[in-house]
Amino acid sequence: MDWNVIIVNLPFLMKGLWMSIKLAVLVICFAFPIACVMAVGRISNRLWIRYPSAIFVNIMRSNPLILIVFWFFFLVPILTGRPVGDFASVMIGFVVFFAAYFTEIIRSGIQSVGRNQIQAGLSTGLSYFQTMRMIVLPQALRNMIPALITECVIVFQGTTIAYVVGLREFLNSTFLVTERTLRPAELYIFAAIVYFIVCFAGSLLARQLEKRKVIT
Amino acid sequence: MSNLLVDVRELNLWYGKYKALDNINTSFTAGKCVVICGPSGSGKSSLLRCVNRLEEFQEGDVLFEGQSLRECTNIASLRSEIGMVFQHFELYPHMSILDNITLAPRYAKKKSKPDAEAHAYVLMERVGITDQALKYPAELSGGQQQRAAIARALALEPKLMLFDEPTSALDPEMIVEVLRVMRDLAMEGMAMLVVTHEMGFAREVSDEIIFMDEGKIIERKNTEDFFSNPNSKRVQDFLDRILVKI
Ligand SMILES: Nc1ncnc2c1ncn2[C@@H]1O[C@H](COP(=O)(O)OP(=O)(O)OP(=O)(O)O)[C@@H](O)[C@H]1O
Ligand SMILES: [Mg+2]
Repeated sequence: MDWNVIIVNLPFLMKGLWMSIKLAVLVICFAFPIACVMAVGRISNRLWIRYPSAIFVNIMRSNPLILIVFWFFFLVPILTGRPVGDFASVMIGFVVFFAAYFTEIIRSGIQSVGRNQIQAGLSTGLSYFQTMRMIVLPQALRNMIPALITECVIVFQGTTIAYVVGLREFLNSTFLVTERTLRPAELYIFAAIVYFIVCFAGSLLARQLEKRKVIT
Repeated sequence: MSNLLVDVRELNLWYGKYKALDNINTSFTAGKCVVICGPSGSGKSSLLRCVNRLEEFQEGDVLFEGQSLRECTNIASLRSEIGMVFQHFELYPHMSILDNITLAPRYAKKKSKPDAEAHAYVLMERVGITDQALKYPAELSGGQQQRAAIARALALEPKLMLFDEPTSALDPEMIVEVLRVMRDLAMEGMAMLVVTHEMGFAREVSDEIIFMDEGKIIERKNTEDFFSNPNSKRVQDFLDRILVKI
């Protein structure tokens, strides 16, 4: 084994890792607020709000991520006549896909907060929206922190899919270096370690927050 | 009739196919305390929750100060005139007691933060929980939590207070402190609708008593008459059962 190959190519690999992190963070930042709105829609009494959110979530969840990225990379340009671009199609594809998963997590979080809390809020003259925002969502978020962090780790792992449209995220960068140096063993072990560290940090954080939840 | 506060007219409520309220006709006047009692499942909570339209009734109407709830387009502002106290308190666990009390005044009634907090301290003093202002609900005893919930409802400066079994989740020694707060409120002339099995409280504090069964009002009487000569057999049985317990 020649670990020198990693040190030599570290700047290139780190650029890829940075791309992965940037993608994951951006996706989470866009998908999460969308998911909050959709989750509230998903449990609405009004059918014209509830059905569209339900249909959206179920379509997204029944397709593989890679197919949704392909929609935006190949299909949308055919329909609109202009290319979406590799970064944009990955971003849009990821955001809509993960928004659906986040929606389900948030929905079950909301449903973990008692119906009576909603009634208490409404009974004081707060609107439904205010009740959700100030009373239900903060409690729901606290209950679902572990599930959310797990999902964020999955988003990070999911960024590897960006490779299919040629975006240079971490795994794609690693692959390019192996092509050039013919040292797949070292490089893929290194990649595994990096993914492991990120996920392990995530689950540590989740466990920490979960502990805090029990106390308060 | 000028101080008529709530007028319930031919009210019917279904949960799916199950009829929970069956043609309720009744009214409540300002300044009076009315106790609602009856066996479990008789529709007491349902009736209470129709008064601020937390339950959407299908037939009939409820008028609050002459305003039809059925036709009301700004139900939130109407609800902010009616305080409600729940069996399990329903304080917001992620907020301090002070924030619990000031939330609705600030965001539903658009009061400034200093005004809302000043008023909250007055109310906390009144229900005896001033020391708990900055604590979270989970740090309080059940009795303190229910008194905080009463303060939260009073912060709306309501014209009517609804109580749904406010003491049935409490240990006996805490029931007294909550009932005392409620009695003081009634003495000050607050209009109150109280669902409770505390017959001692009903006897001492309420002006009138309503007995419900199977979604209907079976009897409505002055408190004194209710205990001394109930005319229906069902009320008599109910009283026998519940008074023996005490
Ligand atoms: N949200 C609901 N959905 C379906 N059925 C309901 C609902 N709420 C109440 N019911 C039913 O309606 C009937 C009346 O309920 P309600 O809660 O008004 O009774 P209650 O007199 O308050 O009883 P309790 O003393 O047990 O609180 C009961 O049979 C109950 O099971
Ligand atoms: Mg009840």
